Amino acid sequence: MEQPPAKLLQGTLDLLILKALTLSQLHGLGIARRIEQISGGTFQVKPGSLFPALHRIEQAGWLTSSWGESENGRRAKYYRLSKAGRRQLRIETEEWGRVSLAIASALRAT
Amino acid sequence: MPLLARFASLWRDVFQRSRVDSDIDEEVRAYARMLAEEKERAGMGAEEARRAAAIEVGGVEQVKERVRDVRLGTFLGTVAADVRYGLRALPRNPGFAVAAVLALALGIGATAAIFSVVNAVLLRPLPYRDPDRLAVILHRRVDPVAPANFLDWKRQSTAFERMGAADNWVPNLTGGAQPESVQALRVTSDILPMLGVRPLAGRVFLPEEEEPGKEHEVVLSHRLWQRRYAGDPKIVGQAVLLNGEPYTVVGLMPRGFDFPPFWATGTELWVPDVVAPRAANRTGQSLRVFARLKRGATLDFARAEIAAITTRLEKQFPGSNRDVTVNSLKETVVGNVRPALLVLLAAVAFVLLISCANVAHMLLARAAARQREVAVRAALGAGRSRMIRQFLTESLVLALLGGAGGTLLALWGTNLLISLGPEHLPRIETVALDTRVLAFTLAISLLTGIAFGLAPALKASRRDLTESLREGERGATEGFQRSRLRNVLIASEFALALVLLAGAGLMIRSFAALESIDPGFDPRRVLTLTVSVAGTREADPSLRAGFYRQALERIRALPSVASASAINHLPLAGDIWGWSFTIQGRPTPAPGESPSAAYRVVLPGYFAAMGIPIRSGRDIAERDDLNAPGAVVINECLAKRHWPGEDPLGKWITFDDTDKIANPTWLTVVGVVKNTVQSDWAAAQEGKVYLPYLQHRRYLEKLDSHYSYLTLVVRTSLEPAALAPAVRRAVWSLDRSVTISQVQTMEQVVTQANARPRFYLLLLGTFAAVALILAAVGIYGVISYSVSRRRHEIGLRMALGAGERDVLRLVVRQGMRVALMGAGAGLAGALLLTRLMSTLLYGVGSTDPLTFSLVTLVLTAVALVASYIPARRATRIDPLVALRHD
Repeated sequence: MEQPPAKLLQGTLDLLILKALTLSQLHGLGIARRIEQISGGTFQVKPGSLFPALHRIEQAGWLTSSWGESENGRRAKYYRLSKAGRRQLRIETEEWGRVSLAIASALRAT
Repeated sequence: MPLLARFASLWRDVFQRSRVDSDIDEEVRAYARMLAEEKERAGMGAEEARRAAAIEVGGVEQVKERVRDVRLGTFLGTVAADVRYGLRALPRNPGFAVAAVLALALGIGATAAIFSVVNAVLLRPLPYRDPDRLAVILHRRVDPVAPANFLDWKRQSTAFERMGAADNWVPNLTGGAQPESVQALRVTSDILPMLGVRPLAGRVFLPEEEEPGKEHEVVLSHRLWQRRYAGDPKIVGQAVLLNGEPYTVVGLMPRGFDFPPFWATGTELWVPDVVAPRAANRTGQSLRVFARLKRGATLDFARAEIAAITTRLEKQFPGSNRDVTVNSLKETVVGNVRPALLVLLAAVAFVLLISCANVAHMLLARAAARQREVAVRAALGAGRSRMIRQFLTESLVLALLGGAGGTLLALWGTNLLISLGPEHLPRIETVALDTRVLAFTLAISLLTGIAFGLAPALKASRRDLTESLREGERGATEGFQRSRLRNVLIASEFALALVLLAGAGLMIRSFAALESIDPGFDPRRVLTLTVSVAGTREADPSLRAGFYRQALERIRALPSVASASAINHLPLAGDIWGWSFTIQGRPTPAPGESPSAAYRVVLPGYFAAMGIPIRSGRDIAERDDLNAPGAVVINECLAKRHWPGEDPLGKWITFDDTDKIANPTWLTVVGVVKNTVQSDWAAAQEGKVYLPYLQHRRYLEKLDSHYSYLTLVVRTSLEPAALAPAVRRAVWSLDRSVTISQVQTMEQVVTQANARPRFYLLLLGTFAAVALILAAVGIYGVISYSVSRRRHEIGLRMALGAGERDVLRLVVRQGMRVALMGAGAGLAGALLLTRLMSTLLYGVGSTDPLTFSLVTLVLTAVALVASYIPARRATRIDPLVALRHD
């Protein structure tokens, strides 16, 4: 039986979006699908949280956006990582590594 | 993001909303379309895929809304949208908007105007350095102090950095243009430095100028300098003539400097006060003592110290140091107007609350009409908090518009208040709309916006969606909840209005009691004017009495003049001088216990001119001069107190100190006259003596200005004010150099005496009237609204046989129930609150039953009429139309 999609921790969505955009620029749906793919289907991002997050990150200066054409010739807004975004991704990845290690060892402790 | 870019983004978000909006819109829609295509590719039907995608996206509007919230971080953007929405919505319902804004402007404007007075009079600090450390030391808070006591206090106390004293002085300023009598102040050298205000030019007095012979220096006020010397800076160092003697101008005070702020107000020049020659005087109480507390010394400490000093002195010199009070200068200036101003502020706040309640139920009625809109917005995904925010913003827009209107109204209102304000309301001339008043107005506008907007917003946003959509605006009966809130609003309006009416009613009764006081004289058709001979040829002892006698003769010769005479101090105007006396043949009383009487000096014919009836004996006559035995006329009060059951006529009294003077001047009581009011209109009667001017050496001979003037009293058969020019000419035809001041009719003097109560009554009465109108409009509005909502029900009742009377009763009962509930609560509130105004009332208790029952009746009658009108309309409902309408 398929596991229900996991709840995203506050702040992890931003990290996943940055990660999803490391290879190429993507539009909204593309980002959602990419996150689904790289998390092995664990995280399904709905527009209600995706778009606010995209705009928040864009305002933080980690993403830039531009209008382009989709695979099917649709007008779509594409997001791409900025320099600051790549830096931020590195920082957050390290951070995440430390935090998850710490939490994992805390949970293992008896 | 760099700061600049952040601002640019904020700018776009706030001011280019539509572009940003359509951007997000397109982005989300593109997402939905792509999602649908994806689902089609996965094998769904086109229609099915579209619907599934729409469900997954979850409403474009919600997504957009959340993105917007994120983009602005705060709700700045939605506020801007709501404000725009609110402004756009207003003209759609102009009647409502105009009524609401007007009601609010009225309430806010009146509150701001009264607050500007409170601010100027009570809140703003006095214009001196560190004004909180300034204190006033007097007998019984207001009465002056003898020089010897002042000097002892100054020597013995440690609580004060400086202590100084001031004497009232009204000299004639001559030389140059027309002579005039000016308000001046004699001050010891401590007074001006104590205030810490630097002179504009020159200096203030030096300690050595307190020495006799060096006192001929003067400091001018900015106003006098501008008025009389055209602002000429060269005046410093020159001499001016005061009572004919040269005084060198040593300094000019800056604009706005005003001292003293109570008692001798409007002082225009200051001269040194020489206390030394009077250093042993413990009975001549003429000084007002001012002091500055040392750093670290409290008022309580100063009080305790002065109490110790005065107790010691009182033992040493019995009767000299009783009831000495130390108060802050501010308290002395504004203490007796504070209760009145606070009552007025509370009253006007009530008016504001009533207008809030009125607007609140207008909003409620409007919210009911907007149910469908609310339901549609809720269905489109607007959250409850979002909706409350929007309703509140709309009320705030109204409140701010009301506040803007209120500010204009306050601008006009404060001018009106200043022009209406009694002259003797301290600091009234400094009333202005300053930043504090504007901030206050803004604050109350916002507060009122929330106050009247919150309940309707909460109410309106809590709707059962499907219910509203289905029923729309055609609900046949009112929801109970909603009508209860409205009823509470109207009931509280009535409660507030009743409190205001009770307050105004008490003021009216009190004022009527004041008006019904018998002044003891006849103020109708009497002209009074003060003529001072100080510094002129006529001041010469050999000429003075003759001058006044001739002046009066010329005035009596004018057509329409019935009689004319003169007195040193008119009743209700000027000081009372009390003097202790001894009755011949009675045991010498203990020191400080001797009888005393207010002291007036008159020319023959005064009682006839003032219309004071002579009860027994005779008037003072021309023959009562220096060659005749001393005569005195007393008032009934003095006769009753000292000669109860006896005839005082022919009895002897003396004002000389019988201990020290072996051969005192005995005065024979020759007449008894009716009591008249003294310096205070409503004060208890005091003993009073009238001495003949022609027998009074001090008045005949002393050159001091307070012995050099008399107030002429002229009774005419015509309008007295019209006679003023002729009287002036008659006086000046003898000598152009004497000064004439305070030309007023006796009726004006009486009116001024009651100016403050009249002012309070006028304001409180206006507020009560506005409150009554607002409450009436409120209940009328609610009952009309309820009738329109209950058309169907009423139509049904009529169809089932209810008569016109039944419908009337039904509707009126609804209105009256609410009104009476409110009146009951108001009655309880009024019983508690009117106590606070007991110091403002004269001759009526703060819980006067007659007033309370009358105002309750008035309010009930108004409620009856206001609900009867819509009730009449209800009886004209045609059952057929009303029922078919549904």
